[in-house]
Amino acid sequence: MDVAHSDRLKSFFKGVAFSEQQEAFFLKPWKVYTFSQSELITQAGNIERRFYVVVAGVQALYLLNKNGEKVVLGFSYPGSPSGVFDSFIDQKPSDTFLEALKPTILLGISRSDYLSLFENHPDFHKWGHLFFREILFGRLFREVELLTLSAKERYVTFMNRCPEELKVIPQKYLASYLNMKPETFSRLRRSVQY
Amino acid sequence: MPKLVITPEHQIQRLNQILNKVSELQGMPLETVTKAPSPKSWNILEVLEHLSIAIDLYTPKIEQAFSEVTPSDTGSWSFKVRPWQRFVIEGQRPKGKKRPFKMKTLKRFEPLLDPETLDAQKRSAVFERFLHSYQDLKAHIVSSRTKQMRHRPFSSAIGPIVKFYLPEAFEFLLCHAERHMVQIDEILVSQT
Repeated sequence: MDVAHSDRLKSFFKGVAFSEQQEAFFLKPWKVYTFSQSELITQAGNIERRFYVVVAGVQALYLLNKNGEKVVLGFSYPGSPSGVFDSFIDQKPSDTFLEALKPTILLGISRSDYLSLFENHPDFHKWGHLFFREILFGRLFREVELLTLSAKERYVTFMNRCPEELKVIPQKYLASYLNMKPETFSRLRRSVQY
Repeated sequence: MPKLVITPEHQIQRLNQILNKVSELQGMPLETVTKAPSPKSWNILEVLEHLSIAIDLYTPKIEQAFSEVTPSDTGSWSFKVRPWQRFVIEGQRPKGKKRPFKMKTLKRFEPLLDPETLDAQKRSAVFERFLHSYQDLKAHIVSSRTKQMRHRPFSSAIGPIVKFYLPEAFEFLLCHAERHMVQIDEILVSQT
């Protein structure tokens, strides 16, 4: 693994202190996975095999409603985690798709190797506590925003918060994530300053 | 009849459900998969063999159509099914746990398996053929996501009275398989 990738991983798992030997153990199981634009990383109905950290590209996590339309649950981008985490942990078929919206490079680790990190290094439990707290708070904020903000407020809040990489993905994905029609998103993009 | 707009993602999800279900059937005892509800009905292996026969008639047509399509840079397709094709597809699609429009199977689609001589080796062959054929179908659907669905429409397995574009053929094959998954559920219920 090259230095940039190992630095990316160490930065993602900040708070975990490694000895030289531990760092080698930690880095060994990670592999580089590349996906082209529009490629499905994980399919609904398949089991998620890996936990990912994003090196490059933007990915969308979505499920299909009863009409078969995509409902976007979230995005991943450089520096963030990626994958279908519930399927990864439970090893049950995923209800969601993970798609590369841009050419993508991911660092991935298998479930058994992921679990062995926790078994062999107590600091990962501390990292896990902080990681899951961050995920939970993120989901709670999003739920509150969806339930309490108008379409315009959701748009402004999201555009102020989201990384630049997300602003160039197809509008239909952003519109779905913000629970609005693509036409509404397009109108807001033209008329609202943020 | 309301319009029918289909997408490859919806098809992939449903096909994965079918593949998961058949993988579960693969682990069932020989008696379960070779026992028919009545002397005139099919057992589970016969149903799967019928599905393999049906899809294998489409594979060369699908491959020919793939040789005509060009790459797309606008993301994966969504396709509005034409009225006559929609009628044919909806005739296959199960309605909940029911199979509407029951029809007699044409001779060429009948599984030529002798229920009396089905053993573990033949069971393996039936499952392998099915899984191979439907994994191939999935690979074609996945591959189609980055192609423009423009090609000469091809005749269905019952002849040129029904012609399909690739998305329509995928949907027809999926609905046909889903219909027979309902039949498999009925066979399993008959054994309890």
